[in-house]
Amino acid sequence: MMRYEALFLTVPEITKSEMETIEKQLNDLVIDAHGEIISFERWGKYRLAYPVAKNEYGVYYLTRFQVGPEHTQKLLSELKNFLDIKYGNLVKRTMVSVLPVHKSLEYQRPESLEETPQDVDDFLRKNKMGAFVGKSGASFKKPRTSKQEPVEVGDLDETFDAE
Amino acid sequence: MSTKKIKLKMSSRLLKKKARRGSFGAKKMCRFCASPEQEHGLDYKNANLLRSFLTERGKILPSRISGNCAQHQRHMAHAIKKSRVIALIPYCSYGY
Repeated sequence: MMRYEALFLTVPEITKSEMETIEKQLNDLVIDAHGEIISFERWGKYRLAYPVAKNEYGVYYLTRFQVGPEHTQKLLSELKNFLDIKYGNLVKRTMVSVLPVHKSLEYQRPESLEETPQDVDDFLRKNKMGAFVGKSGASFKKPRTSKQEPVEVGDLDETFDAE
Repeated sequence: MSTKKIKLKMSSRLLKKKARRGSFGAKKMCRFCASPEQEHGLDYKNANLLRSFLTERGKILPSRISGNCAQHQRHMAHAIKKSRVIALIPYCSYGY
């Protein structure tokens, strides 16, 4: 049995039901080729390194499967047709690669936008900067608003006279 | 009777290399050869690690700067190119 993984990038507007249909059909595709799905993960929403089809953001999905060597070629060509042509409007990039059998399935990935801390205090705590918690807003000056009283021109003239 | 030639002179290239090492500190080590954990993390999905091998403009760092051995430099370059295709790493940075 050979192990493969397919990482694919979809448009950020993809719905849950659309993804479920893709997952189901992908599962059927692998089972038809006498294979087995190992995992199907949603990485989350990411800011892309460059715009893809005018999208600055995208959602990544990673699926891993194993299949016998006699069905590999057929499955991979079907998978390519399925992701790139049938769901070409949703899936914008795909990367299929072989997984070494002797290596573990653990991997590292960048943090998604959903995982990154939005709160400044949370970020400081996670990055060992606990001393700055609660002081983050102290150094910022209040922005000048239109409600501030305007400086009267008459006052300025008086100061000039005094000099 | 055959006489074996003994090289008494050191090549100028080697001399320069030795002088360079002496002036700029210790010899560079391939970080992937040094730790198997790092080697396992060398993958096209690990964009954070791969970004450390890019210049400001998004070009791949040469091994004489990154310190990688030839094998790992090749693996790393391959991973960066795969990562660029999937839009995890830029081909070229913005603003140029």
